[in-house]
Amino acid sequence: MSAATIRRLIVIGLIALWEILPRAGFIPELFLPSLSSTLAAGWNEAGEYAPALAVTLYEVAISMTFACGGGILLGAVVGSLPRPRILIMPMVSSLYAVPLVILYPVFTVWLGIGSESKIAFASIYGFLPTMLATAAGIQTIDPQLLLAARSMGATLSQRLVRVIIPAAIPTVLSGLRVGGALVIVGVVVSEMLISSAGIGYLISRYRTILDSPHVFAGVLLVLAMAIAFNAAIKWIERKAAIWQTGTHAGQTAVEEIAPAALQPVT
Amino acid sequence: MQPLANITPLKPAGAIEVRNVGQIFKTTTQDVVALEDVSLDVKPGRFVVLVGPSGCGKSTLLMMMAGLRQQTSGTITISGAPIPEPDPNRVGVVFQEASLFPWLTAEENVEFPLALRGVTKSDRRARAQDALKLVGLDGFGKRHPHELSGGMKQRVSIARGLVQDPPVLLMDEPFAALDEQTRMTMGDELLRIWTATGKTVVFVTHSLTEAVYLADEVIVMSPRPGRIVDHLQVSLPRPRTYDMLSGDAFGSLRDRIWRHIRKSA
Repeated sequence: MSAATIRRLIVIGLIALWEILPRAGFIPELFLPSLSSTLAAGWNEAGEYAPALAVTLYEVAISMTFACGGGILLGAVVGSLPRPRILIMPMVSSLYAVPLVILYPVFTVWLGIGSESKIAFASIYGFLPTMLATAAGIQTIDPQLLLAARSMGATLSQRLVRVIIPAAIPTVLSGLRVGGALVIVGVVVSEMLISSAGIGYLISRYRTILDSPHVFAGVLLVLAMAIAFNAAIKWIERKAAIWQTGTHAGQTAVEEIAPAALQPVT
Repeated sequence: MQPLANITPLKPAGAIEVRNVGQIFKTTTQDVVALEDVSLDVKPGRFVVLVGPSGCGKSTLLMMMAGLRQQTSGTITISGAPIPEPDPNRVGVVFQEASLFPWLTAEENVEFPLALRGVTKSDRRARAQDALKLVGLDGFGKRHPHELSGGMKQRVSIARGLVQDPPVLLMDEPFAALDEQTRMTMGDELLRIWTATGKTVVFVTHSLTEAVYLADEVIVMSPRPGRIVDHLQVSLPRPRTYDMLSGDAFGSLRDRIWRHIRKSA
């Protein structure tokens, strides 16, 4: 039996347990409502969940743009120029160790409890790993490759387009994977803390009235969002793998894509 | 009538002239003299090997011949003209390893220098095919570097260095990362390619056996500051064969180089 088949069986088994255990009475509905009652709860309140999902997706999309765009841009500068690297990297590394969620209450004071504060928080949350990965990706390019390109008469811009960018892509993609996942975390967590809309807000509100099926319906939506994001990254990795085969990132991307099934979100 | 004294005679393609070249690396604490007063003439079509212990500046000298580094003093000319920057039409360079672009196929790697110059796709493909055929890799063009053995990768590197048909091929320890057997085979292959193309080859190595086996001339260098301490003519007949390795002529040449290196190492 292949690893992919076993993986699928585990996922199916977990889903089956989710339905069976609460129904058989092994787990109280309050702790874990059965899958069917969760789905029913979500379906019955679709009028509430759909707009909340739209708000969350909107916040994720904008934050993703800021986090990934800004992270790649600044990461490229920091990775390729030693002077900004000396100035910025120690600050960024220390910042990375700070639990950034402590900033969120401050953002709500500055920006209100609407989408802006979530976007600001999630953008910064996802920005750091993207930037660090991009900087590392560019810094760790084999200097031998750049020397070889120069020996063949490549100009600076030719070296950037034909060597630096393709060589950095695998590391940048792995940075995007972490950064993007953190953006989702950042948006949902900030919605759960101080907010008036979004999936996180619904989860938190239903929790206060101990309505577990509705809480889990929200959890399912966040889970679906994370899985969709993961699939999107894999799609990009596969596109990149066409001209990236040969690097380890390219190879693993190809291996992982072949059994393109449900996979746990990391 | 005045003699035309100040007109430099035209140097034939492939001649390398190194005149009183020095190289000083400036660090924050001190200046390191990497090369001092190095002079050297390589005639077209010769196979010249540079040997010496680590830090003798042999690779630095090669990088300067490739236009990848500028000397602090003295002059270097390739085919009669200085080389202020890399010029793949005059000089092809082959590096130690891992200098193939892993995201390109073998033939795309060979085409790379042509693509930089905007040569058309079909023209590029044809010339890459010829170069790959020359190095014995006909039919492997569609493979990526990770699908090739170490020896095959170096063949691709040689093909890439030769694809623009430069008269000079510079090789910086090209076989250092290969195992002994592959290394011997690649040595023979390189000699075959050299005979077929008539290029001037300057080859840097750590291996004394490789040096004597391949070379017309061996240049021995000493470290810090890098200087030329000996210049040997290898008069062993060609084609070179494996039997020569155990011969007296071979042994005495290798011993002579070893004595220089032992003194300085």
